[in-house]
Amino acid sequence: MLLDTLIGRQNPDGGWPYIHGSSWTEPTVYAVLALAGSSQPEAAERGVRWLRAVQRRDGGWPPLPGVDESTWVTALAALLPEEALGAEAHARAVRWLLASAGEETSLSNRLRQRLLGNTMLDEQRNPGWPWIPGTASWVGPTSVAMLALAREQRLRPSRQVAARLDAGRRFLLDRMCGNGGWNHGAVRVFGYDSPPYPETTGMALAALRGVRSSKVDRSLDVARGFLPACRSADALNWLRLGLMAHGRLPGGYSPPSEVRYRTCPELSLAAIVAALENGRNPVWS
Amino acid sequence: MRRRDFLAISTAAALSAGCARRPRAARAQVSIVRAPAYDQHIYESVRRIFAEHRVDVRGRRVVLKPNLVEFEPGSSINTNPLLVHAVFEAARALGAAEVRIAEGPGHRRNTLDLADAAGYFQTISQFENAFVDLNLDEVTRVHPARQLSRLGKLYLPNTALGADLLISIPKLKTHHWAGATLAMKNLFGVVPSGVYGWPKNVLHWAGIGECIADLHALFPRQFAIVDGVVGMEGNGPIQGTAKPAGLLVAGSDPVAVDATCCRIMRIDPLQIGYLKLAAGDNSRLSEENILQKALRVDEVATPFALPPGLDNLRMGAAA
Repeated sequence: MLLDTLIGRQNPDGGWPYIHGSSWTEPTVYAVLALAGSSQPEAAERGVRWLRAVQRRDGGWPPLPGVDESTWVTALAALLPEEALGAEAHARAVRWLLASAGEETSLSNRLRQRLLGNTMLDEQRNPGWPWIPGTASWVGPTSVAMLALAREQRLRPSRQVAARLDAGRRFLLDRMCGNGGWNHGAVRVFGYDSPPYPETTGMALAALRGVRSSKVDRSLDVARGFLPACRSADALNWLRLGLMAHGRLPGGYSPPSEVRYRTCPELSLAAIVAALENGRNPVWS
Repeated sequence: MRRRDFLAISTAAALSAGCARRPRAARAQVSIVRAPAYDQHIYESVRRIFAEHRVDVRGRRVVLKPNLVEFEPGSSINTNPLLVHAVFEAARALGAAEVRIAEGPGHRRNTLDLADAAGYFQTISQFENAFVDLNLDEVTRVHPARQLSRLGKLYLPNTALGADLLISIPKLKTHHWAGATLAMKNLFGVVPSGVYGWPKNVLHWAGIGECIADLHALFPRQFAIVDGVVGMEGNGPIQGTAKPAGLLVAGSDPVAVDATCCRIMRIDPLQIGYLKLAAGDNSRLSEENILQKALRVDEVATPFALPPGLDNLRMGAAA
């Protein structure tokens, strides 16, 4: 049902829109992940062809064709199996990701801050990933980049990837909200604690799969605490993925019937969760 | 894309030149209207504001831009949906060809869930049909007409760029970085997170005040109605405290509207960086150059607690 709806929304060019209109990279990657290995692989193959055509010369992807810059969505494309994307295209994507880091940790920014007499906060020492080059690291893009690099590390272990994964884990643990969980990445603003969001809590937990710490345990409790009242499809998809990554999704849980799946990423992620529940693994394989 | 860029730039330039309806020397009109509660009277107040300012929307595409930030039931973070509905109904009644409600929140991706939590679905019939998520809209590359920030180019949503009139409906709030968030700062919501991410951190790195001024210059056809029925003071725009002011503040010059709102909050507009940048000439911010309609500032002024560390913004503090 979810997959049929998703296929019905595929654009003639092979990509997917967020809701309707032009094809964008993010919804296309999620749709391909949802459809890969399903009984309807043709739609996924057309999606992959669209993605290959959109890859930029620097190895990254723009959010949509016409934007002349590679951004965080490159991490999403790198989540695709290399046999689907093509070995060379995948390798270039991974290289782009390894070269990408939040601007706050760049040499030029550190020098600038030193000249201004500013001290660097501990939480600014571990490079995560930005949404767009030249800006700071945030929880969302860091989580997706770590999912992509964790798969790369399983296939082709390297020191460079291991180092970025390690720094990414420290970045996420530093950006955890005081009582557990994550928001977009601002833990305290002028002395005020910022609360966690369900969707980013789920994303970070998915990226921290395999990490054992009291912080992760606290955040798993926060994630489970979000489940009963949450009615957002996006948030519930990520909460379920995050909890499944740690084997902590309550047995028999299913989203309330009133949850509405409006966007293609919401439909795709729901299908990916369903695939995981049925033993297929489009994310952590 | 190149042709569209050219068209967008040409259009913005032409509008900057041709649609600046007021000669520079004319006094901007700003209405301050009592609105003690979110109730049915607000519909009449909005109709009067439109009439007083001769807002002509006949046959035009109108985009309403409220301020939606976070899920916080019962808080004063977001523009109240009843005011947005009142503006929606007034624009339709005056013969607008199309009225859309559009927003692109900066922190949360699930915009419609946010709107639902803020009461928009309950208040506005068939809300989803009228709404455009600006974070996920089609975009066109534009170049700031007068570049003050480090943004050489910007991708902006076609719904906002194509509006004949953009009605900014922000909340009357203090802001821990910008000092105050009003009609002009509300334009951060048109910058698409689908391109720039959640948050739109590119605007912080390029200079918050400068980006506000650049965005203001890119949208010359605006009208502003500020929701000051219940505003926010202290550590705004999210973690502040509700501040009932019982007002709507409106006008076609967002700079003058924001300067008036600052005075109502007892914030010195000359201490707000983006207002100075957008005004160019400080005299444009002076009280004598703004024609107050309905109520006067001194009749309604109520000091808003300032964000931590921004005591210098208080009127009279500079002296």
